[in-house]
Amino acid sequence: MTIFLRAGGQLREMIKPDVDHYTRKLEIDGEKTIGEILRDISLDPAYVALIYVDGKMKDLSFKPSNGQTITLQPPVSGG
Amino acid sequence: MGNDFTGSGGLAGTTVRINLTTGEIKKYPTDKKLMREWFGGRGAIAKILYDEVPRDADPLGPENLFIMCAGVMSGCFIPAGAKIGFGSVSPLTNGHGDSNMGGHLGPALKFAGYDMVIMSGISPAPIYLFIDDDKVELRDASKYWGMGSLECEPVMKQDLGEDFEIATIGPAGENGIRFSCITHDFGRQAGRTGQGAVMGSKKLKAIAIRGTRGIKVHDLNKLTEHVTAIIKRTQTHPNMDPWQKYGTAFFIDWSNKNAVLPTRNFQTTYFEEVDGINGEALVEKCLITHKACFGCWMNCGKYTKAVLPGKQTVYLEGPEYETGALCGSNLGMTDINQVAYLNWLMDNVGMDTMSGGGVVAFAMECFERGLITTDDLEGHTLNWGSVDDAEHFIDMVVHRRGIGEYFSGGTKRAAEKIGRGSEKFAMQVKGQEMSGYDGRHAPGMLLSYMTCDIGAHHNRSWTITVDMAEGRDKIEGRAKVVVYLQHIRPLFDCWCICRLFWGELDIEPEEIVEALNHITGWNINAAESFKTSEKIWNLVRCHYLERNRANGRTFDYPPARSWEDKIPTGPSAGKGLTKEQIEAMLDEYYACRGWDNNGNPSREVLHDLKLDFAADNIEKIGLLGKPLPNGIPTVRGERYKPKAF
Repeated sequence: MTIFLRAGGQLREMIKPDVDHYTRKLEIDGEKTIGEILRDISLDPAYVALIYVDGKMKDLSFKPSNGQTITLQPPVSGG
Repeated sequence: MGNDFTGSGGLAGTTVRINLTTGEIKKYPTDKKLMREWFGGRGAIAKILYDEVPRDADPLGPENLFIMCAGVMSGCFIPAGAKIGFGSVSPLTNGHGDSNMGGHLGPALKFAGYDMVIMSGISPAPIYLFIDDDKVELRDASKYWGMGSLECEPVMKQDLGEDFEIATIGPAGENGIRFSCITHDFGRQAGRTGQGAVMGSKKLKAIAIRGTRGIKVHDLNKLTEHVTAIIKRTQTHPNMDPWQKYGTAFFIDWSNKNAVLPTRNFQTTYFEEVDGINGEALVEKCLITHKACFGCWMNCGKYTKAVLPGKQTVYLEGPEYETGALCGSNLGMTDINQVAYLNWLMDNVGMDTMSGGGVVAFAMECFERGLITTDDLEGHTLNWGSVDDAEHFIDMVVHRRGIGEYFSGGTKRAAEKIGRGSEKFAMQVKGQEMSGYDGRHAPGMLLSYMTCDIGAHHNRSWTITVDMAEGRDKIEGRAKVVVYLQHIRPLFDCWCICRLFWGELDIEPEEIVEALNHITGWNINAAESFKTSEKIWNLVRCHYLERNRANGRTFDYPPARSWEDKIPTGPSAGKGLTKEQIEAMLDEYYACRGWDNNGNPSREVLHDLKLDFAADNIEKIGLLGKPLPNGIPTVRGERYKPKAF
C-alpha cells in the first residue's frame, strides 16, 4: 500500500521528502495506524500537533488507505 | 492642513503629534533616522517613550504618551503586512508597554500619509481621532462613550462610511481597567499591556482612518519578484489548508496531550474535558467563515457565533488558541460556546482575553479557597465552568464595583489586596498575566515568561518544542534559545508584519530581510536585524529599571506556584521545577545577555549596542550591571537547530 506524508516546518526534514519539497512517498506493509507509521520512520508523534486527511482532523489511531495523503502540522504558539 | 512631506522607502512621510489637552495638532516629517536605527513600530515607540516620558509619570496621567506606529512594512506588498503597533508606559506593568494588532488599520494609516501618531495630555471631553487623508481632527465622541467595542465599530462605520477603518475601546478602557485592549475589525485586538486603559485615560474613545494613497518603496520590481515567489511557494505549503480551516485553535488538543494547557488557574496542565473546547469543536459548533487581515492569504481568523441557552446569540472573531486556553480550560469551561461567549463579552467590554481570563481564573481560585465569598460578589458564586458567574464578576470588574475594584488592576494588584497567600497563585510576571502555557514542565517557556520585557507573554519567546527536544526535566542551555527568540520574534512587531507566516509557512528571516531591503533600500542583513532587536530589548530593560528602581532580578520571578506546586494530574503528574532551578535559569540567562547576576545590563553590553546614554542613566540610580569577569558574550542568543526530531 502506498501513502504520502506531507509536512512543513520542523517536521519537514524529519519525514525526509522524496516526491517534492514537502512530500514523502511511503510503502506500507498491511494496515497501520498513523502513529505506527510515524514510529516506523523514527518520528516522535508528540511533535505532531495536527493530522489532516482529506480536509479533516484525524488522530494517531487513524488507518490510512492506499493512495491517501496525510498532512502533519507542527505546533505553533497562539495568536 | 495638507501633508507636505514626501514618503519613500516604505514610509508614508508624515508623523503627527497631538496634544489632547489643548487640541493642538502638528504634522512634521517622519524622522527617517529614528526609523532606520530603531526599525519603526515597537522599536521607534520604545525610543520615544524612553526619551520623552518622565520616569515618575503616572501611566494613566497626562504625561504618558500614547503612540501608534505602522512601521516600514505595513501596507506594502509583503505577506501579511497588516500590523500596527501601539505603545505607552503600561498601566499594568509600570514599564514600557507595546502591543499590536492585524486587520486593516496599519495600512489605512500609511495610505492616509502617516507613519506615526504621538498623543499626549488628556482631552477635557470624550473624543475620537478622525483621519481622512490630509484631514486630521479630534471629534466629539460623547455619542459613542459607554458603548461596547464591538457595538461601537459598526455605528461609527454607519456614521462615517464603510471605508473607514475603526479602532475602539470599550467600557473597560473608559474606566481605567489596567488590562484593557484596543479592538478593530470586529475582533482584532492590541490586547496586552493595557493600551486600551491609556486610551481611556486620555478620553480617546476611538480612531477612525480612511487613506486613499499609495506607499513608495525602494525597488518595486525586485520586491514584486521576491514576494511573488514567496506567495507561489507557500500556496502549496502543507500547513496552508489545515491552518486556514482551524487557525490556532487546533493547538488546544496538542497542548493538552503534552501537558502544558493551563487548567483551573494553572492548578494543573491537563483538562479532562478538552474535547468540548478544542479546534474541532470550534469548527463544528461555532464557525461561520474564515477571515483574513490586509494582504494575507492565510485566513487564520475565524468568524464565529456563540449560542448558549439564556444568552443572546453573539457573533465574534475567535476564539483563537490563547483565548481558548485562558477562557476555556483555565476557567473550567467545557463547551466551546461558553468560551466563545466569554470571548465576545471580553472583546465587547474591551478587556484583553488573556489577562481577563487570568484575572477571572485567579478570582475563581480565590473563591474556591474561601478567600472571597458570595458576600464579596453581590450574592453570586464564582465557580469553575460557570459562564453566569464569570459574566457577573466581569461586570463588577469593568465597573469597579466592590471587590471588582481589587481586580481592575490585574492579578498582581488583586493578590496584594487579598493577601492570605494568594500571591502564590496570581499567575503573572511583572504584573502581566501569563499566556496559555504552563511552564512548570517546560522550563524554557517559564524562563520566557520570567524574562519577557513587557511582563509574561508568549509572543516574545515560545520554546515548548525545544523543551521537549532537549528534555523537559532539564534546564541547561535554554537561555540562549530564549534570548535568540526574544530577538527574532519582536522584529515582526517593529516592522509591523505578522509573525505567523514565519512560524507557519517556513519563510526564513533572511527572506523577510530581503523584502525589507527592497522596501526601504537599507541593505541590512539578518544579523544586523537581530542586533537592533537586542538594542531595543536592552533599552526597554533600562526603562523598566529606571521606573521601578530595583535590581532587575527582583522583577523576574514567577509566582511561587511555579516551584512550590508539582503538577497534580495528567501526563506530567508529579513534575515541576525547584526554586534552585529557577535561580539557575536566571543566572544562565543573564550571563547570556551580558547582564550581571542582579539582572542589570552591564556597561560593556550597552556600549556594544550604542546605548551609552542608557548606561549613564542606570548608573546614576545605582543599577548599572557590574562588569562580567569574563567579558560579555560576543554572540548573545543562538538559533536553535532541532536535534531530536
